[in-house]
Parts: sequence; C-alpha cells; structure tokens
Amino acid sequence: MRKYKRPLWAAVAVAMALAVAACGSSGSSSSASGGSSGTTSSTSSSGGSSSGKTGGTATVVEGTFPQSLDPSIDFTTQGGEVHWLTHLGPYSFAHATGTAGTQIIPSVAQASPTVSGGGKTYTFTIRSGLKYSDGTPLKASDLTFAIERDIKLGWSAAGFLTSTIAGASDYAKGKAKSISGITTDDASGKTTIHLVQPYGAFVDVLAVPGVSYLPKSTPMKPEPNNPPVGFGPYVIKNVQNNVGFSLDLNPNYASQAIPGIPAGKMNINVKIESNTTTEASDVLNNSADVFDWGDTIPPALIQQVSKQSDRYKAYETNKTFYWFLNTTQKPFNNALARQAVAYAVDRPALARIGSGALVPGCFLLPPQMVGHPTGQCPFGDPNSPPNVSKAKQMVQQSGTAGTPVTVWAENRQPRLQWAENYAATLNAIGYKATLKTIADAEYFSTIETLKNHPQTGFADWQQDFPNPTDFYQNLVDANAIVPVGNSNYEEVNDPHIQSELKALYPVPGDKINSAASRWAALDTYVTQKAYVVPYGYESSPEFLSNRIDFSKVVFSPLEGNDFSSLQPK
Amino acid sequence: MSTATGTELSSEISGWSDAGEELPPGLGPYQLAWRRLKRNKIALAFGGLFLAVVIVCLLAPVYSHDIAHSGPNDEHADTALNQFGLPIGPTWHAKFFLGADSTGRDVAVRLLYGGRNSLQIGAEATIITIVLATLLGILAGYFRGPLDGLISRAFELIWAYPVYLLGIALGVVLAISGLNLGFTRLSGNSLQIPALIIGVIYVPYVGKPVRGQVLGLREREFIDAARQQGLGHARIMFSEILPNVASTIIVFIPLIMANAILTEAGLSFLGAGVRPPNPSWGTMIGEGIGLLPAAVHTMLVPGIMLVLCVLGINVFGDGVRDALDPRAKIRIEH
Repeated sequence: MRKYKRPLWAAVAVAMALAVAACGSSGSSSSASGGSSGTTSSTSSSGGSSSGKTGGTATVVEGTFPQSLDPSIDFTTQGGEVHWLTHLGPYSFAHATGTAGTQIIPSVAQASPTVSGGGKTYTFTIRSGLKYSDGTPLKASDLTFAIERDIKLGWSAAGFLTSTIAGASDYAKGKAKSISGITTDDASGKTTIHLVQPYGAFVDVLAVPGVSYLPKSTPMKPEPNNPPVGFGPYVIKNVQNNVGFSLDLNPNYASQAIPGIPAGKMNINVKIESNTTTEASDVLNNSADVFDWGDTIPPALIQQVSKQSDRYKAYETNKTFYWFLNTTQKPFNNALARQAVAYAVDRPALARIGSGALVPGCFLLPPQMVGHPTGQCPFGDPNSPPNVSKAKQMVQQSGTAGTPVTVWAENRQPRLQWAENYAATLNAIGYKATLKTIADAEYFSTIETLKNHPQTGFADWQQDFPNPTDFYQNLVDANAIVPVGNSNYEEVNDPHIQSELKALYPVPGDKINSAASRWAALDTYVTQKAYVVPYGYESSPEFLSNRIDFSKVVFSPLEGNDFSSLQPK
Repeated sequence: MSTATGTELSSEISGWSDAGEELPPGLGPYQLAWRRLKRNKIALAFGGLFLAVVIVCLLAPVYSHDIAHSGPNDEHADTALNQFGLPIGPTWHAKFFLGADSTGRDVAVRLLYGGRNSLQIGAEATIITIVLATLLGILAGYFRGPLDGLISRAFELIWAYPVYLLGIALGVVLAISGLNLGFTRLSGNSLQIPALIIGVIYVPYVGKPVRGQVLGLREREFIDAARQQGLGHARIMFSEILPNVASTIIVFIPLIMANAILTEAGLSFLGAGVRPPNPSWGTMIGEGIGLLPAAVHTMLVPGIMLVLCVLGINVFGDGVRDALDPRAKIRIEH
C-alpha cells in the first residue's frame, strides 16, 4: 500500500488542481481564435481620481474586438461607439439619450445642408480652421478622399455611397479615378454632392461613423492596428488586436470643439473579454466601468444586475436578431422550405436563452422603427410555441428534407446558444444541420465575404439612423450584394422589393411617417417570403460601475454609451 | 521472440522475481507482471473505476432513450429554463437527473454522450500515438543515420511547441476547413479531427523513449545472430526488436490515454476541440463557466467525471508500470 501513496496523492493533487482550474476566472472560455482574446478577468483597476468630475481613466469591457479600428472598414456597434468620437464627418447624431439622440447635428459642416435639384444636390460648407489630432489642417476635399477610401477598402456600408452618389458606382468598378459627383473647394470649404436620384436618408448617411474626414496622407489600404488620424474628441492609441486599445483625449479638440459634441472628461481603456459572465462580473464588482452595450447580460447575473437601478438600465434601441436564409443555396432557394423554417423557429425559447432581454418578434423592422407592421405575424404568435408539425409537413412538401445545412454561428454567448437551438430546430423539421462556429472578431467579415455563400446563420442589425432605409438598403436590397462587405447575406434579388425601394428611398427623412404604411406593407411582404427569419428585438444594457456618475452618462440609441460623457462621481 | 532475448531481459531485471516467494516453473515476464498487478488492489480498484465510467458512458443511448427520454441535443427551453435563461438544477428524477444546461438540454444525457466522445477521442488518439511512435521510433533507432536524423528532428519540432498552443492552432484551422486526407474528407466538426491532432502531438513523447531503447537493442548479440541467419530488416525490427520494447509501449498506453482525454477536454474548453453542439466534458465545462455562480452543476458535473476518469487511468497506469518494470520512471513533461 505504502509505495502507491505518492502517486495516489499526486493524482489527487492533480485532480484538485484541475477542479480549481476549471473554476478559474480567466476569460478564455469561448474564444476560438488564436487564444488571444479574453484576458484575465480583472486587470489593475483603472486609475483616476475618485474626487472631482474629470480626469482619470474609465475601463470599458467589450465582448468582441471591433471588426476594425479603421473607420473605412468597420461597421459594427463596437466600432461605431469609437469612431463617432474619433473620426467626425460632416454631420453627427446628437449626444443625447432617447429620441433626442436620433437628431442630426452639424459636425464638421457649419449647418444643415441645402438640398436642391429636386432632392439630388446637397451643399454645405465646413467650419474653417479645423485640424486633425496630429495638427494637419482639415480640408473639404478630405471628405472625397475618405469616401473613395470607404469604397476602395470595401466598407460594409459602402452601398449607402455607391448607390446614391453620382460617379461612386463607376469609381467602385474601377471605371473612374475619382468620384465625379462630389466637388469641393478647399479655400471656401464648400462641398457639393450630387446624387443619382433623390435619397431621403442621405444626411443620415453623412452622419454615420465611417463617413468621416481623413487626411489624404492616409494609406489607401486597411490600417486596423494603426488607425488613421481623425478629427474628434478622442484619439485611438495602443492597439493590440483582439486584446484592447485606448482612447486618449485629443488635446487639440477642446479649442475647436463642435457645439453639441463635447470634449471628453476621462481617458478610456477598452479591454476585450469574450466571456460575458466575466465581463458583467467585472462591472458588477467595479473592476471595470462600462459593459459593452452590444452584449447580453448573462442569465447567471441578470437578476442581480437588474436590481442595481442606480447603475443599470435597459433601453430599446431598435435592434433585430434574425436568421438569414441564402436564397441561392439549397434548400433555401425553395420558398416553402424557408417558410417552414419561419414556422419552426422557437422564439420564446430563444428569448429565454437570451436572458429574457429579447422580445420575440417576426418582422425585420423593429417595433420602434417607422414602418414596423402592426398586423399579426404570418407564422403564428411569436410569443407562443412554434408549429413544428406544420413545418415538418412543409419541408416534406418542398422535397428538401434531408438536405445538409450548415448553420454559421458566432462564438459568443448567447449567440452560440441561439445557433445551437436553431440547428436543433432545423434537425427537428427534417434537415441535417451542423454548426460552423466562427470567432467573434472574424464572424461578420467571414459571412460578408460573398464567395463563402453562407447557407444560413446568425445575423443582427442595430439601427444606424431612424429610417427603415437603414435596414433595407443593407440587408435586403439587391444592390447591396457585393463581393466583400456584403450584408445581404440572403443574396435576395426580388423585383417587387427593388421597385418598392426605388419609390421609398427618395422620401425625405422629415417626412418618413408619410411612408409608414408602404414600409409596413413591404416589411410584411419580406416576412411572408421568409428571406430572413427574425426572431426578436433585444434591448441594450447600460451598465456601469459605481465609480461613474450614472446620472450624467449619455446613452445614444444609435451609438451606445457616449464615452465623452463618462465622468467619475 | 528468441529464447536469447527472454534470457537477456530476465537476467537484467532483478525486480521481476517476487522476493521470498516460490514461483511456479516456466513463468514468463508477462505472467509475472500480471501476478504483481493482481496484488495491487489500489491499481485494480482505480482500473475498475475507469471501466465503470466507460461502461456507463457506453450505455448512454439506453439512458437517453429509456430513462431520460431526451437526446443529447434535444432542447427543452420552455421547461428547463426560467424566464431569465437560468437552467434548473438537479432534480434527482429520471428527467433532468443532473439538471439542465444553458439551452435546456439534459446534463446527465450530455454527460454520458460527452463521455463517449471524450473516451472515443482519447482511445483513437492513443492508438494513433502508439502506432506512429512505435513505427517511427523503431525505424529511427534501427536504421540511424539520415533517417534517424529526419525523424528525430520531426519529433523535436513537434515537441518544441507547447501542446495546447499547437492543439489550438491546428484545431481552429481544421475546424473551419476540415481535413482532406485524399481517400476521405473529414468535416470540420468530425470527432476524428481532434483525435488526429492529439494523436500526432503526443507521438514524440513515446517515440523518443522507444527510439532510445531500440538504439541499445540493435547492438545486442541476438540482433547480430538474427542478421547472421539472413533475416531481413523488417523481420528483425518486428520479430526481434518490437517484442523487447513492448513492455515500454504497454506502460505508455494508459498514460497517453489519460493525457489525451485531458488534452481533448482542454482543447474543447478553449473552443478548439469538439465542435458544438457535440457534447464532450471539455465543452460542457466551458459552457458551464458562463453560468457561474448561479448554475454550478453545469460545470461541476463534467469536471468531476473528468477527474474520476483520468484519476482511474493514471493510478491504474502506475500499477501497470510497476508490475511490468518497477524500476522504470516514465514521465510525460509538457
């Protein structure tokens, strides 16, 4: 017996170590990339004065690294939250909570544009004397360069530009060396943009982060680790891909601050924590200050967090979650097969898996958006269990039963769990579904690459501006199908949709309510066709540490936490 | 195996004979080892523990169909999750005996199916390691020269990488693209991919000791005698040398299996092993971490099962080592 004591106790010690390691708090659990995302759960607490209202550093934890810190590439919530402070464009959205935050304010432009030529010509003049964060003078022609760069580098929302600005499409195809529809005068700062046809949401587009001024010295290639110089209250620094970055106060901004776009009060340190439980725990125990508004408070902590009314609030931010069904791939090139999926998706289950923060729904336009249909869901009450037997029948009728289906899934809680549920649903109705999980930071870049032709998978859309055009032009418009940066994952090209969009796009933003019923009809049509299968609308969390003055923080319905409003108590 | 070989071995290993005990005549070394193992009650108990884990996992379909009435991927969000998405804990009844996980799946069912996957991957990886390591180790040690140089450098190249980093890198790439082996193609979520990765990673850990032993054996007189008799290289390697390294290889089997199961759990925990929704103990622990501290059972249950399984193999493996060669000191260093 004695000679086995040592290996026996050694084995027990190993077992104990394994158990402790499994209980460890290191946030590397869900990362599928090279192991670099997800650092230890608590770094040294950000410094900063505990007294006074300015100074110090706030730590923001985000579940995934932005698609890119280069504003000409990124079109994600994590990136937008940064770029609307570091790379201002001609216009911006008001730094305000609630509906007020959807108003457009002049940024680099002096005032709202003059619209003429039957809605096809936009003219504005930029403020004089502005300088980028490195001191380079900002010129009117820099906007032309920046838009050309957006198109050349395949910005995910480049469709906003190529389908509207005259000459942009030719530039995108390589038929022109510059965009003929934009003329600028650097001496006076006057900028004139000609459109191919009236487009009611054009000023909204000019306010989206990504349409920003960049100096012409910026390389015409992606610069994710060394983001281009911009003009704004903050400057991006210390980029470590998939680990974190910092936003330092731009010392040159305060003297040229734009009205309505205040200079920041604290430096920002952004760290990536792919485990949302660790992310929420960090903020709960005040070792981090801000929770990523694009993430979901996990089930294990939602009850505890929601009780902290002095630092937590959930906002409706017009965000739709849906499954895309590629209409060019079997079995989803079959309408009956798609409708079967719409019948089978278990929306109440998905809502539970999403910590109860998801409101089940079936229309693409979210409830707060103009054009959200008020009629019943064509596939049954989204709050009731799904009609799986009918779905199975439809799959059999369509002749597509047994077809292998690859479900593309983002490796992030609860999106992975949603995808597992969805794959189980597809298997239940007669398909052979398997999951293909992609690391967070690479997911959208991967499914946006057209040659991958993803069959079906997770997608979501957070409103960029309060106009249904935002959803449709990117997600369902055939003109949005591009080789790189494609958001029309379904590759849908429906003549009825195209003709309706042609009529709806020119409706001016301030008259959008007049077109609400027509948008609603179109949204109902898209739902019935089941090109996309929305399953719910998620509220976004504003969740801060006790260190931050919650009453002073602005939560934009479009860009999330306004870092420039963060200040210590 | 020639008589000379058996004599050579027995005369060197004085620990094989049981001190003070009258042994029946004609007892071979393996029979002696079996006698020693039979007397090691601790090793047998832990071997039995491991066997029990294997049998229970093999009975997963029976438990799933006849007791729990739920498959490993069947989700019951409406009954097993509350409105905030928290899963129920152990009910100690047939359904959800050990509770549910984050999507409402039965933990007990997934535990057993996950065990099947983990054990299958461990076994396949072990077979791959042993076969490749034996083959390459013998070839390297017997032929020496440039072939030995090539194989040894390959071993060192693999050995230079930390096991988990290499596993993660290969696991992530192959999970996306799958693996085309020419005669067949493995999809990204095939269980054979982690088995292949783990099997290849551990080849140097067995191959180098085997090579070392073969380097010594090839100089022995019985090898010269075999050459004198006109036996070819292949015959010498597999009829004369292989039986003499068999005891070393047998000792490695439980050790490699334990490491393979642990490595699979680690890679799956990190998202580079078994792909969801396929269960394995590692993926279950990884998913359970996200539910701490509210639903501890989702992480604790697969963790305990993993510990019991690996402990069982390790202690049994120690017993096998002591029975075959009490003087051997075999470690696998990461």
